[in-house]
Amino acid sequence: MTELVQEIREIAGHYPDARSAILPALHLAQKRNDGWLPPQALEEVGTALGVTPAYVQSVASFYDMLHLAPVGQHLVEVCTNVSCALVGAQQVVETFQRELGVRPGETTEDGTVTLKTMECAGGCGWAPVVVVDHRYREPVRAEDVPELVGELRGGG
Amino acid sequence: MASRERVTVVLAGADERDLTKLVEYRKAGGFKSLAKARKMQPPGIIDELLTSGLRGRGGAGFPMGRKASFLAKDTGKPVYLVVNADESEPGDFKDREIMFRVPHRLLEGCLITAHAIGSQNVFIYLRGEYTHEFDVLRAALDELREAKLLGGVTVVIHRGAGAYICGEETALLESLEGKRGQPRSKPPFPAVQGLYASPTLINNVETIATVPAIVERGGAWYASLGVENSAGTRVFSLSGNVVNGGNYELELGTSLYELIYRIGGGIPEGRKLKAVIPGGSSVPVLTAGEIQYPLDFDSMAEAGTMLGSGAVIVIDDRCCMVQLGLRVAQFYQHESCGKCTPCREGTRWMVQLLRAIEDGRAEHSELDLLLDVCDRILGKCLCPLGDAAAMPVASYVTKFAEEYRQHIDEGGCPFGGESSLQGVIAPIDQHTLTPVAVIPA
Amino acid sequence: MQEADRMSGELVTVTVDDRKVQVPKGTGIVEAAIHAGIEIPVFCYEPRLGPAVGACRMCLCEVEGMPKLQAVCTMTAQDGMVIRTAQTSAKAAEGQNATLEFILVNHPLDCPVCDKGGECPLQDLTFRWGPGNTRMEFEKRTLEKPIPISPAIALDRERCILCYRCTRFSEGVAEDGQLIARNRGALSLIGTFEDLPYRAPFSGNVIELCPVGALTSTQYRFTGRPWEIQNVPTICGLCPVGCNVHATMREGKVRRMLSRNHPQVDEGWLCDKGRFAYTHLYARDRISDPLRRSRRRGFEELSWDDALDEAERLLREAEGRIVTALSGSETVEQAYALGKLLRKGLRAHTAFLPEETGSALDAYRLPLSAIRDAELVVVLGDEPVAERAPIVDLWLRAARREGAHVEHTGDAIESCRRLAGRDDPLGKRLRESERAILIWSAEEGSGGAHLAALAGELGFRYKPGSGAFHLPCTPNGRGVADAWAACSDDEAEAPESIGLLVVSGDEAAADPNVRALAERAERVIVTSMFQGLAVGWADLVLPGTSYLERDGTYVNLEGRLQRLRRAAIPPAPDELAWISKLAERFEVELPPYASAVFAELSELIYDGLPFGEVGEQAELRTRSEAPAAKLPDETPSPKPRKGELRLVRYRPLFSGPAVERVPELQFQRPPPEVELSPEDAETRKILNGESVMVKHVDVARELRARINPSLQPGIARVANDHVGELGGFVEVSKP
Repeated sequence: MTELVQEIREIAGHYPDARSAILPALHLAQKRNDGWLPPQALEEVGTALGVTPAYVQSVASFYDMLHLAPVGQHLVEVCTNVSCALVGAQQVVETFQRELGVRPGETTEDGTVTLKTMECAGGCGWAPVVVVDHRYREPVRAEDVPELVGELRGGG
Repeated sequence: MASRERVTVVLAGADERDLTKLVEYRKAGGFKSLAKARKMQPPGIIDELLTSGLRGRGGAGFPMGRKASFLAKDTGKPVYLVVNADESEPGDFKDREIMFRVPHRLLEGCLITAHAIGSQNVFIYLRGEYTHEFDVLRAALDELREAKLLGGVTVVIHRGAGAYICGEETALLESLEGKRGQPRSKPPFPAVQGLYASPTLINNVETIATVPAIVERGGAWYASLGVENSAGTRVFSLSGNVVNGGNYELELGTSLYELIYRIGGGIPEGRKLKAVIPGGSSVPVLTAGEIQYPLDFDSMAEAGTMLGSGAVIVIDDRCCMVQLGLRVAQFYQHESCGKCTPCREGTRWMVQLLRAIEDGRAEHSELDLLLDVCDRILGKCLCPLGDAAAMPVASYVTKFAEEYRQHIDEGGCPFGGESSLQGVIAPIDQHTLTPVAVIPA
Repeated sequence: MQEADRMSGELVTVTVDDRKVQVPKGTGIVEAAIHAGIEIPVFCYEPRLGPAVGACRMCLCEVEGMPKLQAVCTMTAQDGMVIRTAQTSAKAAEGQNATLEFILVNHPLDCPVCDKGGECPLQDLTFRWGPGNTRMEFEKRTLEKPIPISPAIALDRERCILCYRCTRFSEGVAEDGQLIARNRGALSLIGTFEDLPYRAPFSGNVIELCPVGALTSTQYRFTGRPWEIQNVPTICGLCPVGCNVHATMREGKVRRMLSRNHPQVDEGWLCDKGRFAYTHLYARDRISDPLRRSRRRGFEELSWDDALDEAERLLREAEGRIVTALSGSETVEQAYALGKLLRKGLRAHTAFLPEETGSALDAYRLPLSAIRDAELVVVLGDEPVAERAPIVDLWLRAARREGAHVEHTGDAIESCRRLAGRDDPLGKRLRESERAILIWSAEEGSGGAHLAALAGELGFRYKPGSGAFHLPCTPNGRGVADAWAACSDDEAEAPESIGLLVVSGDEAAADPNVRALAERAERVIVTSMFQGLAVGWADLVLPGTSYLERDGTYVNLEGRLQRLRRAAIPPAPDELAWISKLAERFEVELPPYASAVFAELSELIYDGLPFGEVGEQAELRTRSEAPAAKLPDETPSPKPRKGELRLVRYRPLFSGPAVERVPELQFQRPPPEVELSPEDAETRKILNGESVMVKHVDVARELRARINPSLQPGIARVANDHVGELGGFVEVSKP
């Protein structure tokens, strides 16, 4: 039994039905696999919870935060829903695009940063919202972007 | 429009103390309600909730006391309390602030409610993106455990993983059971067959965080706040083209004007107000001329819209209403779960039509077609998401008909690239997920 | 709750389009409407898949007292309900029209080249309730197509309307969890994990469940149009369940197999062997002329007259020292004819059947559907039920879903003894239960006798809801044995030497035990469909036929007599034709027609039941008197030494002469694996998928370990295909 399988079984113990632990399990598996879920990870989650890898994939592919393809070392998500868009989210996206040389949905060639746009992050009153490695930065204006990119590139 | 004295219930004391700490929360009177509640008979607590007139704060506005009284009795199965903390409605960020500022009030509300419905199991389904709030809640829960305040109740904070639809109660239950978050057909309602087919009460964060105050000061006191049919306070999320965006706890019945101009500081940069979305992106829009309406359930209905989740999005005159329609429709297309036909296919078609209108490729008949597509979605879907896409977009087309027609007549956007939403990239646009499979050997 | 409603038997009145009907409370609205003679259109609704999901929205109707249109497929009949369908409600008509418009927005209108065209619910419903034109002027969604989700099934994702019937079948009926929906919203797709083939014994059912042309059979694709085909109602002859099927015929050839719902037998499901194996009829080595061993070319074709002369000569020369090896796949009529010829005409009474059968269990007879309705099911034996009698596996799963306790007890004979004891807790529960089922899933002989004795001991004869099933290894072993026995009352005396071995059918021809008998026989006659099975050891080969080419009857594992209908004309005279000719030469009177042969044998064994009354949906005969029976004495099986595991070998469902000749089924054959319980794997530090050595004395085989949580500790299970020389007790270890 792999370490991941063991850890997941422990989490599953908090629920009346092991299957309920699938999202926490997938979050954990993703953390252990450079931010994404390779097929092998889906199989391990399936083994731990007593479901088929196909089932795990079916669930994982439903949720935006779970990645079935590799992502960069850093994940930059820019909220472009209405409240953020009204106050300059697109300009933030465009600055990231320029600074990183990638379009939303893409990863820099060196694998450092994946840029994405996201639906409402829930920081509308403090917009525009940028989420870096799952931590909120509010607000981030277009002029703040170069420094942020530098931080990501420098920080490694 | 006279300004009333600000009464706070949910966020009370949070400006003065760091209520994320148990000791501070106790100093502010925290957990007295729980002690009081545990000495009360459960039906007594539900009676107080009924008297309070507290209506669900998640969007549907169903009276909490009644919901609790619907729970199936003597089923031989455990009763579950599920807190809907999957806040994802565009414009909405109030639950997030409640959780990171007054986590103990939410937890106290959970424990009181659990006692009231005879539940030993509480699940807080927390929006996956809310990582900071997860940390805060977990720390608070650890404090409660250490202080032995849980009284045998298990509280599990369950993180979602990014799906708006999981804010719909049955989709949330499916997700919590480890499935794809697709809504269930109702009936059976969660009160009868909810989590693990057991009786389940599901309430929004703000609703539950209101419970301690009701127990402490009585349902009648709470009912005295606000206006008829809309008792109490609400934490309004104010955002968009407004000077002071943020969450404001106000008595229900406060006018939109007051919120936007007195509290929110008005529209920045001397721009003109064009429209207001009063209850999150799922509700019909109001024009600048309709902001005299008070923010309460009945007044909003009278204005032809809904109070929804209390998310007020202010839109100034730089915004193209076709682009707004497109962006909102893109959101719902992206978030449609794919289970029922009208929502899955209809939202996609709406986006195609709106894109054509924005690009100047549409004819006048396609405006009617768009409205007809909205109408054909409306009231025919498995869950409210389809309606939530159709209603607002239809309202933009109707209330800003001239602007929509202008796009067609002028063969493109009259804003000429100057709209605040110009070129905005929605997540649905960036799907590199090519739905093409490898052929097995 | 619905179940309880139906059980209560209370009738309620429902009004559908102004027609009042009375139905039992809890009846689905779709069914209630049918009672009223009104069709409510549906796509996703399929009660056999579990609770309704209300996904497609095709069934939108007005329900009095409710402001919005309702997906009535999710509702059940309550007293006083008033429903208006599209026939009387403009609102409902608009709703249904809207649903169809949305479905068609991205559905390609390639009906003229679509296999489903002409038998397509989407086509039919669009014609009746849908819009006459399209308002969608954008490019439709395009996707790569078709995707083979397995060698047997092709998926056209553009046509898919996401009704989720197929995935619900995979998850909720077959419980294989392999066919899934991926992604969300308009990007949702049906698929498998990493696009691996959908490998599961019941996968083909999704083709039939698909209400559009999204899931199609790779064998049937583009081979026929619905107006060019005929469906022949018959039964499947590939396992002892005897699923009711339709054989789709075009230009005299079988083109596809469809299920034909017998609610007590198969509930409309069919395994992939039953569905896809029919192409063995057209195998390259199919024999259409008699063959004789010849020195020069190994075999030479000969005319039927010469073949009958040759057969007569061989039969006479054996002077009664004849042994007959039966397959258990012969029709009752064929077995009777062969028996009458050999036993009456040649006094050759000795026959060999792969397993014992008997009437002992007739006293505990129940329809297979009783498994689903049981509260306690005990499976004795370690062989996988799905490999022996696939549909029984689905009934077991249904039972578990309905809340039954299903227990597997391992070693069948041992368990029998234990359960019969007075202090065994499980035995006690069996005695107390009113709805308990025993299932024998093991190769061990005399399973029927053991089960009958156990059922008797447990008091099942007084419980109409309790019963027992023996899962035999042949499709018609019982029918064949009874027919053979009916031919003569003379006792068989095994000849000291075998002058002639008569091998009847492909299963017997492929059986290593029969091959061993042949070694001892002076001469061998083989009836077989395939040259590959007869070459090298037969002196005379007579062409055999398939169950799809025969008229007659089969008796399934319930003891149900079912009617086989000739769908395809065989490439050679069928067995009854030439047996009857041959019989003339020995002064035995035998008609060449199944109906006439049945008339004769029915007097002897089926109380004179007329052939025509066997019926397309055969009924189960009532239980017989329970005989007094004691558990047969068996020498206790030897015990393993420490660290050893008992080897359980089984014949896989996907094996045998028919399967071997179907390219689309090769991927279903078991990989070289040994199945272990998690406990046994843990103690040996073996991980799933690891290579292990399985050793018995000096025989060893390297196999891949598969950890199977439903397996009992103490055994190692290997398919016959990979067992080689292994036997008895084995050691399993990492190499």
